Amino acid sequence: MTRSHISETPTSLIEVRQLGKTVNTATGPIHILTDINLRINAGESLAIIGTSGSGKSTLLGLLAGLDLPSQGEVFIQQHALTTMDEDARAELRNQLIGFVFQAFQLLPGLTALENVMLPLELSHRADAEVVAAALLQRVGLGNRLTHTPKQLSGGEQQRVALARAFVTQPRILFADEPTGNLDRKTGAHIIDLLFELNAEQQTTLILVTHDVQLAQRCQHTITLEGGCML
Amino acid sequence: MKALALAFKLLFRDYRSGELSLLFLALIIAVTSVTAISLLADRLQQTMVTQAAEFLAADLVVNSTTPISADIVQMATGLNLQQAQSIEFTSVIMENEQLLLAGVKAVSNNYPLRGQLKTSLSDYATEQIQAHGPERNTVWVEKRILSALNLKLGEQLRIGEKALTISHVLTYEPDKRGDLYSLSPRAMLNTEDLAATQVIQPGSHIHYFWQFAGAPEALAQFKQQLKPLLNPSQKLMDIHEDRPEIGGALQRAERYLGLSSIVIVLIAGVTIAMSTRRYSERHLDTAALLRCLGSTQAQILTLFTWQIILLGVLASSVGCGLGWLLQDFLLHLLASLLPQKIAAPSLLSIVFGLLMGIIILLGFALPPLLQLRKVSALRVLRRDLEPLPASAWLVYGLAISLLSVLIWQYTHDLRMTATIGLSGVAGFVLLYALAYGLLTLLKPLLPKLSLAWRLSLQNLVQERSTSISQILAFSMALMVMQLSYTVKSDLIDNWQQQLPVQAPNHFALNIFPEQVHSVEQDIQLATQGNSHFYPIVRGRLTAINDVAVQRYVTKDSQGQQATERDLSLTWSESLPPDNTLVSGNWWQDKREGVVSVEQKLAENLGIKMGDRLTFTVGSEQFTAQVSSLRQVHWETMQPNFYMIFAPGNLERFAHTFLTSFYLAPAQKAFLNTLVKNYPSITVLEVDQILAQLKTILTQLTTTINYLFSLGVLAGFTVLFAAITASLDQRKHKSAIMRTLGANSRLLNTIHCIEFAGLGLISGILAVCLAESVTWVLYHFVMHLEYHSRVLLWVLIPLSASGVIAAAGYFGLLKVSQTTPMQILRSL
Ligand SMILES: Nc1ncnc2c1ncn2[C@@H]1O[C@H](COP(=O)(O)OP(=O)(O)OP(=O)(O)O)[C@@H](O)[C@H]1O
Ligand SMILES: [Mg+2]
Repeated sequence: MTRSHISETPTSLIEVRQLGKTVNTATGPIHILTDINLRINAGESLAIIGTSGSGKSTLLGLLAGLDLPSQGEVFIQQHALTTMDEDARAELRNQLIGFVFQAFQLLPGLTALENVMLPLELSHRADAEVVAAALLQRVGLGNRLTHTPKQLSGGEQQRVALARAFVTQPRILFADEPTGNLDRKTGAHIIDLLFELNAEQQTTLILVTHDVQLAQRCQHTITLEGGCML
Repeated sequence: MKALALAFKLLFRDYRSGELSLLFLALIIAVTSVTAISLLADRLQQTMVTQAAEFLAADLVVNSTTPISADIVQMATGLNLQQAQSIEFTSVIMENEQLLLAGVKAVSNNYPLRGQLKTSLSDYATEQIQAHGPERNTVWVEKRILSALNLKLGEQLRIGEKALTISHVLTYEPDKRGDLYSLSPRAMLNTEDLAATQVIQPGSHIHYFWQFAGAPEALAQFKQQLKPLLNPSQKLMDIHEDRPEIGGALQRAERYLGLSSIVIVLIAGVTIAMSTRRYSERHLDTAALLRCLGSTQAQILTLFTWQIILLGVLASSVGCGLGWLLQDFLLHLLASLLPQKIAAPSLLSIVFGLLMGIIILLGFALPPLLQLRKVSALRVLRRDLEPLPASAWLVYGLAISLLSVLIWQYTHDLRMTATIGLSGVAGFVLLYALAYGLLTLLKPLLPKLSLAWRLSLQNLVQERSTSISQILAFSMALMVMQLSYTVKSDLIDNWQQQLPVQAPNHFALNIFPEQVHSVEQDIQLATQGNSHFYPIVRGRLTAINDVAVQRYVTKDSQGQQATERDLSLTWSESLPPDNTLVSGNWWQDKREGVVSVEQKLAENLGIKMGDRLTFTVGSEQFTAQVSSLRQVHWETMQPNFYMIFAPGNLERFAHTFLTSFYLAPAQKAFLNTLVKNYPSITVLEVDQILAQLKTILTQLTTTINYLFSLGVLAGFTVLFAAITASLDQRKHKSAIMRTLGANSRLLNTIHCIEFAGLGLISGILAVCLAESVTWVLYHFVMHLEYHSRVLLWVLIPLSASGVIAAAGYFGLLKVSQTTPMQILRSL
């Protein structure tokens, strides 16, 4: 290590230092990410692009504290994620972070409304139902509150997922190819919605995409190639 | 052939990816337990049949008062059956100026065909096993003959006109019956000496026993041809009628074996079905993809069918092998209790597990895949499936029917199979409805609950079909465990009741009223125990409601036997302890001219409450009205009576007394004193029979305990299979919840509540189902007395809830220690 970065207090909202991820497989270790350094300030937007398998989802997961790095450190609001335990990271996610998955990941047993209410309920908000219903109204699903994910189309499910991500008014929103499973027109609609909500709530946005046009709507872009930043 | 090769390749890939391990494991466990139990049950049952044969000293016995016709003997010879005869009669023996009534038994050279005789050479010598009876010119006697007649081994004993040398003391004879002829002390001689004794005269009261043994098929054929040839004085004997005290126990034990097999097969079926569903659901994608790649539905079905058959054969073979080892091990544990020779298993019981594994696997793996037929590949990938098509229900139905036929074929117990099958299906439907109703009832409660409670119950309520299938699996498992436990305990209780420690093992008859007091004192002095004295008046039942009793009698029935000879009539102030009233009351205000009748006899003769019975005692006739019906446990071998009168009705007739008492082997000399002091008294020894019975009941009890453990083990297997099958879904949910910020405490609480709830509901349903099945089973099949166990009603739901919650909690503990990303990637 050339710098003793632990002592240096990060100033940005998100700061990534010498981040690396290695997994051990039957055929030997794979280095998925090597030496990633990043700073993202509050209110900025960042697009991560790269070819398939270049490590985008892995990086996003590490940034959101959904996974642990093999080397390096991720700071969110001065908190070093690796020094926290799983529950502390969950708490942090609940308060600061929203996440949109490529495959929606709604809970199949719950209705659209219940899915959106869930993050609020986890932080014991009494007004969960009202807030969630309002946000679903905002994404155009006001008449589908009681439907379960199975009864919704892909685009509708992703809108529920967006509402769920924004409902806690997170400071940071992570979105992993939010339109990857949707047709072009629906995808564009979702992206518009994403940016609208982002603007309304002044969220910091980190977006994985392989759509260069979409990346251009963000203030910054980084490109991954074989696990390294270009 | 190409399909087979491809199936094999795909299966191997599945195996490499770890997809198969759970199904494979479930299959192996299920087939292992089924194979073990079916082998064990089969071998034990066959052993029981052989053992039962020992109590008859043959496989088949014809009891006759005259020699049987030469045709029958020839027929048996033609069928290659072994044959032996024994001839029994009572005879007064006089030696050294002492008189003794002995039960004489002449046996042919190859008696006994089954079982063995035991003898000893003195009081202290160890018993010797004898394959056959006495040689010519010798006689074997029970010890009491020696002491009563002041004789020693090697001296001469004269039976009729023939003097025989006493060569052995007889200590055990396999077919010793509990009737009067065999209970006088035994003297056994060779049939070839019989003529020389000249005791058999026309008109003597003699029982001939023609004994046969051989291959089962030959015996069956013989039995069929024999039946029409028998005349009214000749009777085919079987263990259940001839030795009810043993036959009853054996029959119930056989039923328990059958029950255990059925129950374990059912539960193994549920295990396989649960894991198979998961397997085939995971393979829907593969199937859909194959469709996209251009395979026809027929090709896909062929491919999967082959794959499943391959899997079934592989796993079931392993299970079969393990099952064999397991039953061998169990038999090894039981070795000291069982007869030396255990029957070899039949072919069906060896391959039973194998067949069952493959049938259930196919039956439950194919229907979900059949669903794909009319559905586009895309909708399959999105799991947007229609309800099962008719053909899938056909496959389920076929699988279940095949299984039932297999069980029936295997247990040969149509009644039990049908009882369990029908009450099982009815219970299943009921359970389904109940579970559905319970979950629906929960729904309106949800908004009022705290987060953890709401989220966990929401999971149960929203995914109702998943919850219900889990509840069904859990309750099936619990039900089986409870059923095995209840039936086991009741059987063992029943046997213990049948044979309490120090149950009276000797009877003394013909005690005159003036002797009662001193006999009582003598017995008390010798045995330190009290004994009850029953008065006996010999009399005959002659009419029912003034119609001659012969009009009511059916041939060869218990009624005929009871009305053709004198009955022992008694009176008693209180209801004898072993008896239970089934209708009417014990003596109340009306005590004159009332009688209590044994229920079976009443049934047989059509006697009802309030009927007027006419009795003849000596030359006098009197009538009595039936005031109650009693159930009597004949198999306890205690003094019991068909007719009990209220005190005050019979005292005017000449009567004697009967008593029973317990003598330890060392106290037997007391019998000689008794007989010497009161020459008129007849003593019956039932100690040998009781000891024989006790051995058998101990064997049966131990066996049943092992079977029960197997049942519980199988139950737990299903529980864990059902829990494991649901883990993927829950892991996925947990990962998403974690992403949204749920902490591990909340997740653990949710899992605990969810599983505890499932356990509680399943436990309650299981208790209801188990109690109903038990009731039906006791009432229609096992003829045991049903009583509800209140403790189980509480214990089962609570412990089920605890165990399932713990298992679920530990199964999901890793989830709270892994990062969400790892979980999502691993699913
Ligand atoms: N647990 C793991 N074990 C083995 N390999 C892994 C694991 N996690 C990720 N990888 C590998 O790391 C690489 C990067 O994965 P990642 O999902 O981050 O790619 P990506 O850039 O998001 O690709 P895509 O655009 O296709 O979603 C891939 O080659 C993937 O196979
Ligand atoms: Mg990705």
